[in-house]
Amino acid sequence: MKQTNAHMERQIMNKRKRVFSVQEKKNPKAVFAKRYVSHLVPALKKINMNKPSSQINSKSFEQTVKHEVDMALALSAQEFAWSRFLQHKLLSSPHEDPSYSSKILETSSCKQDGKEGSEIKKKLKELQKLVPGGEEMNMEEILSEVGSYIVCLELQMIVLKSLVQDNIS
Amino acid sequence: MLESLVSLESMSLSSMDVSVLERLKWLQQQQQQVLSTTNASPELLQFHGTNNDELLQNTFSHFQMLGSGFGPNYSMGFGPSHEAMDGCISRTNSCQMDQADTVGVMLNNSEENITIILKNKRKSEVKTREEEKTEKKIKVEAETESNMKVKSNLSNTEASSETSKQKSKAASETQKLDYIHVRARRGQATDRHSLAERARREKISKKMKYLQDLVPGCNKVTGRAGMLDEIINYVQSLQRQVEFLSMKLAVLNPELELAMEDLSVKQFQAYFTNLPVVVASKPSLMVDAPLFPLDQQGSLDLSVINPNQATTIEAPSASWETQSQSLYNTSSLGFQY
Repeated sequence: MKQTNAHMERQIMNKRKRVFSVQEKKNPKAVFAKRYVSHLVPALKKINMNKPSSQINSKSFEQTVKHEVDMALALSAQEFAWSRFLQHKLLSSPHEDPSYSSKILETSSCKQDGKEGSEIKKKLKELQKLVPGGEEMNMEEILSEVGSYIVCLELQMIVLKSLVQDNIS
Repeated sequence: MLESLVSLESMSLSSMDVSVLERLKWLQQQQQQVLSTTNASPELLQFHGTNNDELLQNTFSHFQMLGSGFGPNYSMGFGPSHEAMDGCISRTNSCQMDQADTVGVMLNNSEENITIILKNKRKSEVKTREEEKTEKKIKVEAETESNMKVKSNLSNTEASSETSKQKSKAASETQKLDYIHVRARRGQATDRHSLAERARREKISKKMKYLQDLVPGCNKVTGRAGMLDEIINYVQSLQRQVEFLSMKLAVLNPELELAMEDLSVKQFQAYFTNLPVVVASKPSLMVDAPLFPLDQQGSLDLSVINPNQATTIEAPSASWETQSQSLYNTSSLGFQY
């Protein structure tokens, strides 16, 4: 029994490797990355073509690029609630800077002797601000969405890094 | 064994006037008998209802969070207690103690559907009883694990009192499927509200555990507040990095060759294999039965899990987790939650 199980296990592992290389589409991360690239690159091209060269390196150009970056993220991960929220936000206010960097973590202002429940609630509020659409989610939903959001952000970073690096060298 | 089965069959399920003590006695009897005659199960199996396969499938598809303790050692009452809470189910079809009737804590991530299979069919009652009792012990184990407490000693009395509580709750709540089934622990209220509360809390703690695996550096922090802190920090840092990269991209954009159609996903494959985090992992597996049909996934689970359990009792969950997660990764089509 053990032998057959181990054998099957090996088979499955081998199969997985095969599947991974041949059927990339099954891998959700690969799927996401593909979608992301396919959204972002044409958008960048379009930006290049539309903007006159004088506007390059201005703040609005950066914002436009950022907008496209976020849009590509939202479009590549349609399965999640946060992506829909992000899409809405981007479509409604196309040139607004989400200003991620301005969010400050307020933990230091929490009283130490406060109840843990209220501390957690404060943290949850912070999280709500970070995750697109978080204001409309309750705790459980946020926790589900945060997981996928984190992974998609990581993947996005990988794609962006490689895009940048490919063009530096 | 068979005589006792016959005698118990006459007892109807809904009769709540059967005293708890009596039931416990029977249970213990059955327990001992089972321990001594593990080969008697073929006869027992005959007593099962016909829709056990369905139940089994449902159980499998919804079961992912628990059951590191299940397995061939089932008849012993306690599976090996590891931390592998996040491991997959380990019920084998060939296992003599067929757990088809038994119930897991069926916690779906979707709010509305919490489907459970309740045992206590009349025909399979005896088997149910002993399964229930052993199941309960394991379930309690899983519960404690899930709540991150370590209760190493679950005495028989405790388990049996839980059994009694469980029975009263089960009998009073529902006889049908599609109901929440949350184990009541000793001394805890068994009314609907607190059960729903408990189910909700367990859901949340499971998600937190998943996030803990996702966010690096969360393992050292304990408590919800600290973990949330870490998560927030991590998300912020990710977002900042994305912003920075996009700025860089904007700077480079004019010079971009943009021969990107050649850019294939193969470039990223190296990253994907190295990434420790998996999206379609544990919580997602509880969602849809169609995604994980028993004949494929279930057997996959079983074949991979059993060696782990059989060979290494104290198997750390880490290696197994990544294995199982990557397995599911290939066949799951999306980030299902």
